[in-house]
Amino acid sequence: MPRQATHRRLPALVAAAGLAALCAAPATAAEGEAALRAELEALKRRISELERRLAEQQEAQQRVEKLEREVKEVAKTHSEWKDAESVLHVAGYAAVGYTDAEGADGSFNVANFNPIFHFLYDDKVLWEAELEFEVLDDGSTKTNLEYTTLDWFVTDNVTLVGGKFLSPAGFFIQNLHPAWINKLPSKPAGFGEEQAAPESDLGLEVRGGVNIGNPWKLTYAFYVANGPSAEGELGGGEIERIEAEAKASDEDGDKVYGGRVSVLPRPGLEIGVSAVTGKLMVEDGTSEDKGRDYDLVGADFSLVRGNLDARAEYVRQRIGARAGSLWPDEAEWKAWYAQLAWKFRPTRFEGVVRYSDYDSPHAAEDQRQWALGLNYLLAPNAVAKVAYELNDGQSGQPTDDDRFLLQFAYGF
Amino acid sequence: MRKTRLFPALLMVAAGLAAAVPATAGERGGDKEAFARGARVWSENCTRCHNLRDPREFRDDQWRPIIAHMRVRGGLTGAEARDVLTFMQNAN
Ligand code: HEC
Repeated sequence: MPRQATHRRLPALVAAAGLAALCAAPATAAEGEAALRAELEALKRRISELERRLAEQQEAQQRVEKLEREVKEVAKTHSEWKDAESVLHVAGYAAVGYTDAEGADGSFNVANFNPIFHFLYDDKVLWEAELEFEVLDDGSTKTNLEYTTLDWFVTDNVTLVGGKFLSPAGFFIQNLHPAWINKLPSKPAGFGEEQAAPESDLGLEVRGGVNIGNPWKLTYAFYVANGPSAEGELGGGEIERIEAEAKASDEDGDKVYGGRVSVLPRPGLEIGVSAVTGKLMVEDGTSEDKGRDYDLVGADFSLVRGNLDARAEYVRQRIGARAGSLWPDEAEWKAWYAQLAWKFRPTRFEGVVRYSDYDSPHAAEDQRQWALGLNYLLAPNAVAKVAYELNDGQSGQPTDDDRFLLQFAYGF
Repeated sequence: MRKTRLFPALLMVAAGLAAAVPATAGERGGDKEAFARGARVWSENCTRCHNLRDPREFRDDQWRPIIAHMRVRGGLTGAEARDVLTFMQNAN
């Protein structure tokens, strides 16, 4: 370094200056000698002072270099975390619950754990998958692959999704069913397993959002998938139910097509419509009836503003009639609900009231329900819920029993 | 003398820091608008389905896949997702 070189030369320069001073003849020998000595001492002191400073500076320089190396290392580690091309993240939710129904003994009947895995590559491709582990009545554990999809962000407005996904038709199943999101411990009547709202499907989906003139926004999700199948009464008769869990096979070879479009006229207000059409197969394990008409229509609404969270949704699935079939009649499953929730700020309490109505081809399954709930929000994603359901179904059926429910849910 | 020499050295360290973490420095200083837009996306979109989540809940790297996940779920545009990510990563 030139700076250091100058400093090394300094003592030499000082010595040379001293010599030059010596050569200049003094007035008297003694006087001259004393003066010279004093000057020499002064010079020595200056030299050692300069040497001390030089050493200090070198030390400081080393410290700065060490600091630079450390800063680089820290910065690298930081950016490795933040900017690594691939990121793995585990999210999910868990819930525990207790239910006491009129016709049965109270029991702790909910214990589930749903881990969700995300793997993101360079903000271009996301793999998302949710597993569900649930303790059943008999003590066994049910495992279910709720969804597994590869999402490819094609453009700012188009994402291509392939795999097993939650049904893009409707709102509750896709977006509100996780326990930490659902404001009541139970699902609305008709939105449970194999009822009016389809759960999942296996296929391809194109989805995204577009800003259509400030503040209007539009979201869409269109899909093609294997579609559901239906179970018919053994040996013929009525169609029992639609099996709305995705299947990795499509026995009838006919796909279903459909999706949902929603508009947001302003933030917090959303109106969506859903439709699906296709064919499905009805079977009873021994006989089958392929190519039956299948369709779904749905509508949903939500208004979230300040302390208010208001929602409503309607869904109807139908299998068309076919003369000569073992299961000739048309069958229709429909359900709707309306829910109001209010946060009592500044406390952590939230009150909820929901009405739901489920209408199936089988009177024993039909249900009308009022549900009242009070929630305590430990955090936005951790909630303790207590609720009471007033159920009205066919008398003697579990659908007619009122229920008291407790639940604690946490989404992480 | 020591002071004057140390100052350039400190400047060098600062410059090194800035060069090593351009993303954060750039977003913080250079794109305040993205942060402001992101704050709006957050308050207006992230309550559509569930309670509003706090930016401080997750680290910068964790917010990336979460926002990507929510982009798919909520039909956010790419621009909205980038803005809200900028907000989450700078407000935590
Ligand atoms: C269309 C509905 C919807 C919107 C809009 C939405 N979320 Fe979510 N969010 C969900 C659902 C549903 C889950 C639960 C994940 C699951 O079950 O797959 C979730 C989960 C999460 C989680 C938990 C971690 C995870 O990835 O599962 C966080 C954090 C989160 N959302 C933050 C946000 C933020 C921030 C926004 C705004 C940019 C947002 N959400 C907008 C529906 C939504």
